[in-house]
Amino acid sequence: MKRKKTYFLLLISPIFIVFFSLFVGNYSLSLTEVINILVSKLSFAPYDPTNKALYIVWNIRMPRIILGMLVGASLAVSGVAFQSLFKNPLVSSSILGVTSGAGFGAALSILIFSSKNYTYIFAFGFGLLAVFLSYWIGRIYSTNSTVMLVLGGVVVSSVFSSLISLAKYMADPYNQLPTIVYWLMGSLSSASYKDIYLGGIPMVIGIIGLIISRWRLNVLSMGDREAQTLGINVNLNKAFIISCATLATAGAVSVSGNIGWVGLIIPHIGRMMFSNDNKYLIPISISLGASYLVLVDNLARTIGGAEIPLGILTSLLGGPFFVYLLKRTKGRGWD
Amino acid sequence: MELIKVNSASFSYEKAPVFNNLNLKLNIGEVLCLIGSNGCGKTTLLDCILGIKKLRKGEILINGVNISKLKASQLAKDICYVPQFHRGTFPYKVLEIVVMGRAVYTGFFNMPSKEDISIAMEALELVGMDKYKDKPYTELSGGEVQLVMIARAIAQNSSIIIMDEPTSHLDIRHELIVLENVVKLVKDKGKSIIIATHSPNHAFHFENNNIDTSVALMREGGFIDYGKPKDVVNEMNLDKLYKVKTKIVDIEVEHYYNMKQIVPLKSS
Repeated sequence: MKRKKTYFLLLISPIFIVFFSLFVGNYSLSLTEVINILVSKLSFAPYDPTNKALYIVWNIRMPRIILGMLVGASLAVSGVAFQSLFKNPLVSSSILGVTSGAGFGAALSILIFSSKNYTYIFAFGFGLLAVFLSYWIGRIYSTNSTVMLVLGGVVVSSVFSSLISLAKYMADPYNQLPTIVYWLMGSLSSASYKDIYLGGIPMVIGIIGLIISRWRLNVLSMGDREAQTLGINVNLNKAFIISCATLATAGAVSVSGNIGWVGLIIPHIGRMMFSNDNKYLIPISISLGASYLVLVDNLARTIGGAEIPLGILTSLLGGPFFVYLLKRTKGRGWD
Repeated sequence: MELIKVNSASFSYEKAPVFNNLNLKLNIGEVLCLIGSNGCGKTTLLDCILGIKKLRKGEILINGVNISKLKASQLAKDICYVPQFHRGTFPYKVLEIVVMGRAVYTGFFNMPSKEDISIAMEALELVGMDKYKDKPYTELSGGEVQLVMIARAIAQNSSIIIMDEPTSHLDIRHELIVLENVVKLVKDKGKSIIIATHSPNHAFHFENNNIDTSVALMREGGFIDYGKPKDVVNEMNLDKLYKVKTKIVDIEVEHYYNMKQIVPLKSS
């Protein structure tokens, strides 16, 4: 019973985190100021350009928080999906090469246009291309085995990683190279409502698709053979889940860059605290991912004078935590 | 009435034939034991009947319908599968595993209903595993996992159950428990079962329990004999199949008036 309560509280935790995060930043705001701004915004009051607090809350902090939620939720939920699909608790959302593909796409657009204007579309496109290639390689021998698919992901990831290095090597070291490197580190610092519209659509579609098919993930995690004899159209369901997870991840990576570990540790926190049953694991991972990323982003924008790239912090905090989790979970039914 | 009919079935990988020109049938309420050593093609034959692999030649009919015309979801309502050795990755709870047997009745956008869960619970009770329903199944012993897999098959509620060496790594007690459950499935639930096994004694176990039993003795992709256990499981065939000299004995124990057992004597 106590666990049910915790589950529900964590499930709705993003609401409180949003509200709390509106106060975090160099410009301090009082409770009444924030509430007034939210009330005026929700009642569609006319925009007041002289109100500095309004600008900060609504045009700087809010889009960043919303984007952080979407990205965290997307990475976590696609991590859960891939873990179940590949019957491997140690894979994350980047297993099929979407992250390296998107990274190369972004680097390429920065090389071509010398600006960040087209990174979104290039990153998204190359992210999808990478997964498509992995899937295609996985099917070369007309089988559709999981091992071949993972192998495809490994090959595609390493090819795109090399291409990223090549792009860095060829980049102009004064303008393009720092832009590429900074993009790859992952950040939400330039978040705007435009990013939310662009990246939000694939992320939301992917997340909803995975929520819908979450129980089938249990069946698919029994392996192709058993899933088929249990009456599941394995190829169709796999393709659907890979598509949803890829849309969510590609949407996230293309607006935020490379943010590691969320897709690995959040699913494990969910597994440890609650259940491996995807019926419960998927919803809680969405909430935990959203809350975690926004909290870490709060740190990223307040620690030290200059902003620390978010991707650095998620790994820096996530890495040691994951080792701790591995130690804890060893005795808990893992093979 | 024939539930399954296999007509002149052949299968091969590229150029390596696995089995050739096999014929068999499964009646309602019958247990068919596929007996043969490792690599004789038993599992591949079962895979073809389950629709996982496709025959190269011949046909497999289920209730008169060719299985190549059936989708996975249609086939799963007629046939279910109890794997040889289930190695779990995620520590799902026992009940969560058994509920997966209801996947074929669960629509794409749906979750298992309360009714599905109570069907799964009944299945667990039937195999006597209901007290473990909240235990992670990765913490169960091999025999207990096998019973959970049987419960999942019961929950799937198909008339045919295919078992691939369900006792091959079990101790003597759990082997017997699994066999007793197979008997129960046939007698109480009216299931028809194909069971691949290493142990020819299993065929006698079913026959001793008055179940309509057939045996197909499989070697190198063909049947060397096919019929009732008392007719085909004999010393000569066992020597052909396993290269083992044996003695088949009749014992009288309690209510088993004529219990047959194979006693291995010497490898030849």
